[in-house]
Amino acid sequence: MKKLALLVLIVLACIWILPIFTMFITASKSSEQATSQPLPWQLPKPFSLGENASIAWNSGGLKNGFINSFFYGVVGSLFAIFFASLAAYALVNLNIKMKFFWFIVIYSGTIFPFQMFLIPLFEMYQKINLYDTIGGLALFYIAVAIPFCLFVLHNYFTTIPREIAEAAKIDGASSFHIYARFYIPLSYPAIAVLFLFQFTWIWNDLLFGLVLSKSEQVRPIMPSLAGLMGIYSTINIASVLAGGIIASVPTLLLFVLLNRNFIYGLTLSTSRK
Amino acid sequence: MKKVSFLDYVYLLPALVFVGVFLLYPVVRTVYISFTNWDGLTTPSFVGISNYSRLLRDPIFIHSLLNTGIWVLATLLLPVGIGLLVASISSKKPGEVFFKWIFYLPYAFSLTTTGVLWSFLLNPAQIGGTFNAILEAIGLGAYTKRWLYEPPWNTYAMIAAYTWQTMGTNMILFLVGLQNIPQEPIEASQIDGATGWQTYRYIIWPLLQPIATVVVLMALINSFKVFDVIWVMTQGGPFRSSETLAVTMYRESFTMFQMGYGAAIAIVLTAFELLLAWIYLRRTFQQEL
Repeated sequence: MKKLALLVLIVLACIWILPIFTMFITASKSSEQATSQPLPWQLPKPFSLGENASIAWNSGGLKNGFINSFFYGVVGSLFAIFFASLAAYALVNLNIKMKFFWFIVIYSGTIFPFQMFLIPLFEMYQKINLYDTIGGLALFYIAVAIPFCLFVLHNYFTTIPREIAEAAKIDGASSFHIYARFYIPLSYPAIAVLFLFQFTWIWNDLLFGLVLSKSEQVRPIMPSLAGLMGIYSTINIASVLAGGIIASVPTLLLFVLLNRNFIYGLTLSTSRK
Repeated sequence: MKKVSFLDYVYLLPALVFVGVFLLYPVVRTVYISFTNWDGLTTPSFVGISNYSRLLRDPIFIHSLLNTGIWVLATLLLPVGIGLLVASISSKKPGEVFFKWIFYLPYAFSLTTTGVLWSFLLNPAQIGGTFNAILEAIGLGAYTKRWLYEPPWNTYAMIAAYTWQTMGTNMILFLVGLQNIPQEPIEASQIDGATGWQTYRYIIWPLLQPIATVVVLMALINSFKVFDVIWVMTQGGPFRSSETLAVTMYRESFTMFQMGYGAAIAIVLTAFELLLAWIYLRRTFQQEL
């Protein structure tokens, strides 16, 4: 029984690792070899990963997408965390009426499926000339990340002893001072996890990039990769796969370096103590 | 009680404005648009519930709804089921960390990248499909297919890709749940001579219920909204055979510019999702308040 269980585990592990292995092997083959020899144990000859990656990066247009998404990911998550932390601070520590109501108003942003946002955003962006602009996408990514950040920071702030704020207040500290000097530094662990999560989410977004942008100069990376797939899939699949690897570099790096935080973040978003 | 200071509300303002303008206003506006006929350019004209009655008569929508149902059921069976299986087998065993890494690794690839990769794997062999080539290499050449072009195989193929990417997340959550189960009742049952299966069925499984409920609900909610994998792998085709509600909504709205009809589909999708989210939130806030 134990042996059978282990066998199941090993077989599944092989199935799970094979696609990744195949992706790296195939992205290293020439475009002809990728088509004529698609098996993962047919090794690349000549080794063409650099060439394929450069096709995807330059003529495939992933370069712009990469830079754009990096910008969206950093700006979107940082501003979302900033705004959400201000709101969470107010709801935990300041003198505000109907706290639960305001919390629900902001948190309700996570409840609806994204399909509820698409048409009016498209309409609004056309009207106020935000459609297909870098600013337009950045603004949306900030907004969409705020509710979850508020949820986590609100929980986190309630664990910070109120005595800290009260002592500082007696010493004459302003409420913003208490926020910036105590609440934010004490929450660095939660903020780091939120940054990791929101950056990854924005980096991986396909839907809003498709709807709110059209030009290569504005498109995030995932719509660019999907576009590359549409154009190159029959003529040069090796460079499309190389593009897939390029598009995964930041998330892979974060994953390998910060695996623990991913798992912590995952549990944050589901189980609460 | 201190006086309420206006300044305190300023802290709330940026979050409220962003969420209000970019998320909540669109929700309300979508409800309105779903009662109009709108091509995205002219002014929307009010048409009452005709978009909704059209849904009931539209074979493409019905088919899309059925596909969504298949996705939801398959998500329970595969990413959640395999996640539970793998977590239960490997929990607190040597090699747990190794297996955890392997099964969780696909999470580092986006669903778009997953779609790109699996499109290649499932291509017809002549243009470099790895899966078909493997079938031929091991003597199962009779089973090769144009996986992404033949319904219902295209839906099953995409579910496989989705399972590959998402299973690890469920496994991790189950592992966390298993980790938090106290050791004493398990040991007690073993002393009393319970078999491994009995211990699992009567001790571990009931204690795993809370986290299992969360995992199932989250997986259900996500499977209702699946878009990226389908858009990359088949764009819902061929002949709209593999669309789900999210893809149909996108296609009607942004390639056919039937915004009113698209909005109505979004509302149907939301109704299903809110039902599940309501169960989930009720649990969350029960613990909290």
